[in-house]
Amino acid sequence: MAQRIDLNYFKRPTGLKRAKFWLSVGLPALALVWIAWHGISRDSRVYSSGRMSEAHAVLEAECGACHVQTAGAFSAKASDAACLACHDGPIHHPAETNSLSCATCHTEHRGRVIIVAARNEICATCHGDLKTSGGATHFASGVYSFEDGHPQFAALRPNGGAPASDPGTIKVNHAIHMKPIRRGPNGPNVQLVCGDCHQPGAASGKWIYADARYTTASTSYSTQDEVPPPGKETTRRPRPMTGRELMAAVRFAYACAGCHSLAFDKRFDEGVPHDKPEIVHAFLVKKFSEYIAAHPSELRETRDPGRDLTGKPLQGAIRVYTLKEWVGARISEAEELLWRKTCKQCHALGLGVPQSNLPVVEPARTTVQWMPHAKFDHDAHRGFSCGNCHEKALTSTETSDVLLPGIATCRVCHAPGPQHAESRCFECHTYHDWSKRKEIKPTFTLPALRTGGR
Amino acid sequence: MRIDETQRGWAIASLVILAVFTAVYVAYAVRAPEGPRGGSALGLSFGVIGFGFMIFAALLGARKRVPVWRIGRAQAWMRGHLWLGLLSLPVILFHGRFHFGGTLTSVLMWLLMITVVSGLFGAALQHYVPRVMTADVKLETIYDEIGTVRKLLREEADRAVETVCGPLGIGKSANEEVLRAGGLSAARAMATMNSGTAVAAAAETVVLSEEECAPLRKFYLGEMRPFLEEPKRRGARLGNADKAHGVFSGLRTLMPPSGQATLQDLEDICDEARQLVRQEQLHHWLHGWLLVHIPLSLALILLGAVHAVMALRY
Repeated sequence: MAQRIDLNYFKRPTGLKRAKFWLSVGLPALALVWIAWHGISRDSRVYSSGRMSEAHAVLEAECGACHVQTAGAFSAKASDAACLACHDGPIHHPAETNSLSCATCHTEHRGRVIIVAARNEICATCHGDLKTSGGATHFASGVYSFEDGHPQFAALRPNGGAPASDPGTIKVNHAIHMKPIRRGPNGPNVQLVCGDCHQPGAASGKWIYADARYTTASTSYSTQDEVPPPGKETTRRPRPMTGRELMAAVRFAYACAGCHSLAFDKRFDEGVPHDKPEIVHAFLVKKFSEYIAAHPSELRETRDPGRDLTGKPLQGAIRVYTLKEWVGARISEAEELLWRKTCKQCHALGLGVPQSNLPVVEPARTTVQWMPHAKFDHDAHRGFSCGNCHEKALTSTETSDVLLPGIATCRVCHAPGPQHAESRCFECHTYHDWSKRKEIKPTFTLPALRTGGR
Repeated sequence: MRIDETQRGWAIASLVILAVFTAVYVAYAVRAPEGPRGGSALGLSFGVIGFGFMIFAALLGARKRVPVWRIGRAQAWMRGHLWLGLLSLPVILFHGRFHFGGTLTSVLMWLLMITVVSGLFGAALQHYVPRVMTADVKLETIYDEIGTVRKLLREEADRAVETVCGPLGIGKSANEEVLRAGGLSAARAMATMNSGTAVAAAAETVVLSEEECAPLRKFYLGEMRPFLEEPKRRGARLGNADKAHGVFSGLRTLMPPSGQATLQDLEDICDEARQLVRQEQLHHWLHGWLLVHIPLSLALILLGAVHAVMALRY
């Protein structure tokens, strides 16, 4: 048997052994050359732990932009200072107890993700058991996510035992407005839709029930009477709003004037201005004075005895007024109509100054931003019919009804998992208080950035 | 190495380690506010442990080169290589939070996965192929010597045919001593004895007439010798045991009794040549995967070290 075997066989490598040897040498060598080539060409991208976010993609090859090596440190982790060199990160809340580093929420090298999309768990580190430096807080605690612990929206929560109430003073019966209306400005059988009255501020939609005499007129009342400014704790967004996010306050000139006439006397086709009582009164004085000057024959008034229904003895059939008496009588009649019916149909009127005998119109106090701590965008939901979310609008009869959809409505679509819309905290809430933003001094120059320096 | 009862200890230990690491990772991933990160303390721990497993697995090669070192039994090293190498994949996946990351880390991940998968493939082959080899290749020889043995088979076949048919006109290069000692026929006899089949008789020196010898000469020069020279050639009848048996059965009817022993010898030579082909095939399966496994694992260790340094740097 031994004679069959060449005893020196092991000294001759077989093809398999040779291939194994050369591959074992060649492949690691190739890997070494590959990595060395990147080092020589000063391309550090190869060491990146992942692609950078969309916002930072331009810095993909500029490791040193964020990984600033400080003296004595072995690691060059991205520091807050490096982040703040480009963009400010205002604090979340003055009373916050936990100060987070930028990278805690904004984790880089995780692919082309949206870097502002922080994880719920980070928010929950504080809001799961909310503590403030000032002690007690009126904000909800135990909030871990939109699904776990998030309370009903504040505007819908009972306040001091009283049910949630719309602070607005304009009397609106939504149910009546949503039913077919027999008489409209352009014909019978009007069916209003939400957009006839409610449109975002920057919307370019057509106002079917607008009246040009009012839309072009200037008014004396302030915007704050209509829409109070948001509270101090409202978190400002990092960028200006487009004006399409929120529904604008309903304006009489655009939404109401088409149907709700401010007529004051049969002698005039036009109505009174939609303005303060003083302005309306002055308008009436002017209009009636001008009228009687043009029609002096009307100072002699023939009364219709059939109109006195009170049973009081009728005066003489013919009465002759002075100019002042006639104007005063007509104004009195017109204001009786306006203050007691026309204006009061929608506005809350209070007692004014006794000398003037004019009422005071309560400020409308229309709430435009129902959720001051959250951002909502009607424009992003424009594909959905209003009634899907604002179900109560179809049946609401009281001005005080809050027609904001509840959190359950939002959760129908905004939930974790596929086939659902984003539901993480950042979708609605802004962390940084951008009202405290500081301006940044530019540090990058474009050619240098693209060639490896600042 | 067979995957059998002897692996139970390592298998249980590996499963326990995997379960513990999985529990730790899940708890960490759920609770970490910013999500799991390879750069966190726990993430780095997974990385270090995973890389440690890889290095241990790679040291098997070094251990084989110095078998006299008293650093544990080779079998223990092999089992450690197998199980810790396998564990390195989930541990590194925990380290990388199941993401491939950037360019280098992606390369590392692919290298690791291919290395582990090729290792598993190799382990499966090491488990099954030796049994197949034992069953199919009774005349197994040293793989490196297959070429030499084939040459000897050709020479032995030449001698056997020349014994009964006279000179074939083929160059003589056979080792006379091999033949005198019984040659390969003796080896085959031993193998068949072990398998319980009949013992092949030694060839007698009987020269047949030209007419009697013609079928054998024609068969040998036209079919058998080309087969012995190139046994892996596709389509050769002698490459198939059944067909070869048919060929030799037909030839036996044409040969006188005095040539039957030679025919049996030639059939045995063909059988051994086929077994050598089979051994080659099985050997390639048994060791071919190492062409992928070893070079990639070395590249993995090298690039892994680069990654460790650069990751700590940044």
